[in-house]
Amino acid sequence: MTFSRREFLKGTAAGIALSVLAGPAMAAQQNNSEAEKWVKGVCRYCGTGCGILVGVKGGKAVAVKGDPNNHNQGLLCLKGAMLIPVIYATDRLLKPMIRKGGKADKLTEVSWDEALDFAAARFKKVLAENGPGAIAYYGSGQALTEESYVANKIWKGGLKSNNVDGNPRLCMASAVAGYTTTFGKDEPLGTYGDIDAASCFFIIGSNTSEAHPVLFQRIAKRKESSSKVKVIVVDPRRTNTSRIADVHVTFKPGTDLALLNGMAHVIIKEELDNARFYGKYCNFMKGNDAVTFDEYKKFLEDYTPEKVEAITGVPAATTVKIAKMFAESPGTISLWCMGINQRFKGVWANNLLHNLHLLTGQIGRPGATPLSLTGQPNACGGVRDVGALAHLLPGGRVVENDAHRKEMEELWQLPPGTIAPKMGRHTIALYEGMISRDVKAVFIHCTNPAHTLPNLNKLTKGLETAFVAITECFKTAETLKYADVVFPDAFWCEKEGVYGCTERRYSLIEQAIKPSGEARPAVDILMEFGKRVGVDPKLIPYKNSADIWDEWRQISAKSVYNFSGITRARLKKESGIKWPCPTEQHPGTNLRYVRDEDPMVPKDHPDKMFFYGKPDGKAVIFLRPYEPPFEPADAEYPFVLTTGRVIDHWHTATMTGTVPELKKAYPGAYVEVNPEDAKKLHIANGDMVVLETRRDKMTFPARVTDTCMPGLVFTPFFDQKLLVNKLFHDAADPISKEPEYKICATKVYKA
Amino acid sequence: MATVKKTLFIGMILIILIAAAVVGFFVYLDKAFPKVRCEAAKHPTTPEAISDCVACHAKVTPMLVQDWKDSKHGALLVKCVVCHGEPDGKGSIPFAAKPGAKEICARCHEPAMNRMVEKLGELKDCETCHPRHQNSLHRSAFEATTAASNTEP
Repeated sequence: MTFSRREFLKGTAAGIALSVLAGPAMAAQQNNSEAEKWVKGVCRYCGTGCGILVGVKGGKAVAVKGDPNNHNQGLLCLKGAMLIPVIYATDRLLKPMIRKGGKADKLTEVSWDEALDFAAARFKKVLAENGPGAIAYYGSGQALTEESYVANKIWKGGLKSNNVDGNPRLCMASAVAGYTTTFGKDEPLGTYGDIDAASCFFIIGSNTSEAHPVLFQRIAKRKESSSKVKVIVVDPRRTNTSRIADVHVTFKPGTDLALLNGMAHVIIKEELDNARFYGKYCNFMKGNDAVTFDEYKKFLEDYTPEKVEAITGVPAATTVKIAKMFAESPGTISLWCMGINQRFKGVWANNLLHNLHLLTGQIGRPGATPLSLTGQPNACGGVRDVGALAHLLPGGRVVENDAHRKEMEELWQLPPGTIAPKMGRHTIALYEGMISRDVKAVFIHCTNPAHTLPNLNKLTKGLETAFVAITECFKTAETLKYADVVFPDAFWCEKEGVYGCTERRYSLIEQAIKPSGEARPAVDILMEFGKRVGVDPKLIPYKNSADIWDEWRQISAKSVYNFSGITRARLKKESGIKWPCPTEQHPGTNLRYVRDEDPMVPKDHPDKMFFYGKPDGKAVIFLRPYEPPFEPADAEYPFVLTTGRVIDHWHTATMTGTVPELKKAYPGAYVEVNPEDAKKLHIANGDMVVLETRRDKMTFPARVTDTCMPGLVFTPFFDQKLLVNKLFHDAADPISKEPEYKICATKVYKA
Repeated sequence: MATVKKTLFIGMILIILIAAAVVGFFVYLDKAFPKVRCEAAKHPTTPEAISDCVACHAKVTPMLVQDWKDSKHGALLVKCVVCHGEPDGKGSIPFAAKPGAKEICARCHEPAMNRMVEKLGELKDCETCHPRHQNSLHRSAFEATTAASNTEP
């Protein structure tokens, strides 16, 4: 590779030359006392969405500290506290690249014009020959709201293709369907503030300590305030989250639906239910059919604590105990994450959690709420609210609803009938579509599907033949191996945009520094690409991301997501505002569906609560029976394999892998084996162990620890060399289409 | 006379024995429980060894590691490198055995630090009042409760 003088100087700034001269790479070091000014933003990593201030000196980011005015009150976790080296990593993509001669060719650096034309020409060709069903956009819960909004508008409104999906399908879709089916509208009712008021924490399917560290700190702080605050952790692994638990419940992986129904049984039998609440605010339903309370009660007879013990292995007394703790506390908050969502019956599991809150009336008060934790920083704000999924339109509307499409066509000023009436391909169907060659060109933005999809050996096959355009920041992303065009995206504080976290809070990331190399903000890339593919420029007339926000803000006024009061100017001044927020004077909403709290509930509404997303204003308590996971352990594959995060790494480690401290803390994947199992299999700590599933087999170093219960093994998914998702099946929840990453059957033996 | 000499002699022997025992006791204490047990005279440099501070420091400075594990930082997994950096100095923050308040603590605790300055005036450091590694999470609130797993025998 040769450098022009200009590039060389740029390279020096990025530390490339430094690493050449000094030998092994040295990270860009942070120094908080050096900063000349501080620029407000949001952490790049998880769904907690901590406020962060970036210290800038001479046009370079030199330091970070927590934003004292955001919900995190100045605190950061170890990943957030070491963000600076990621910006200046030598792995950054700095120039557009294309593969001129097809997949076998090398990626060569070209100009922006050439790269954009190359991609646009191919998309145009596919559109002309195969129609809008053959192109797709695969987005991300890490993309800025403006990016996802523009992409959604370009595809659904401009190119008439509903093939818009993204990685939130892999992590949040079951929570979305859970909220929508139970309460009528997506997004949580409560906020992080409920943590400070709760006296019972019901944490299930979440390793909050490692996946949402700053929230875990807030829970621990609440727990510290009084010995009367109780923490229940339900997880087949005893993670660091259990360290503050009063009760840690392990159960046979995949049987938690029975446990949740068992808790409901106890609540009703012990008369801890709140008949006044559910009598007034709830319907009982079995699928789409209304049933009576007595029928529900009869249905729960299959889930007596003793029967639950037989299914789950949880002692009957424990089920009774945690059900009582849940119901009797002055305020119970449930927190859950991928352990509930990434499941073959993930939507049902979500419904069953909501059931417990509706039965006991632990809802709609400070400290009493079902709060689903998001995995990514902008899955809620950017993808769920914007409707950048195959079945959705902005503001909680759905594609297959004539009235909703008509509303969006009017708001986007499109000719009637522009938006296709059939929903697009969800993630698994999208990649299967590439395998069957029905989808011929895909635009992937800000995500790394060749690492994160389940059953990788199968689902990446399509990427080998389809035309793949990708916007990415880092050279280490596995998906680059399949890319025909690579657009270097500006990273994090190099561009401006909004992130919306778990608690309906929108915060602005302000631009602190110029983009590295030739990288450009993704909204520019998307708009340029859209225009070159033939989208009417009037559809995307924006000068910058603030214009896009303004349009989206105004459009939101026509939905119950109304945040038209969250102007760009307010976002610059305030560290995050929680929607609904209909006017510029409105302070934001803490308790959704509650009169006098939620501006969407009429002030003169006769009842305190109003579930306005449902036709009759009532939430639903669902009769959802226990069903086993898709692939339970059996005689041939006797262990259950599960996967997850470690605190040091985030997703595919393209970012955290550039920070020496984080990289070295966990250089690679490993497998956790319970000491009992290890003894039987003659595995010692550090031995190489093979995991063999029906898809593939892989070798990992063993960690013999009692974190996993006997019969369960765990491996983290960040490793770029050992792509553990090759081991998992791709069977998805029939309602949410979210794959079951958390459970598959495996053999375990010494290498 | 002979009995006096004999008594003196026995006394001397006793004193020597006691002295030897006392010295021996302290020598033993010193050898068995040194303040710093140096197994590796300096920080290792290989990436594999550098990553696991706790594994080595649990032997070298066991009190310190135990304090950290019991502390809020330990419970919340704020690991060594977050404040101290990497011993080879090539990490994202400069290596420091005693991290500076303004450079390091302020990244997360600036609001609290400002409150302290407001209350008590400009302060030299944080650790005079908040000894490092010794801020336990549990305090009295947790005394009556211990996490128990139903998988335990």
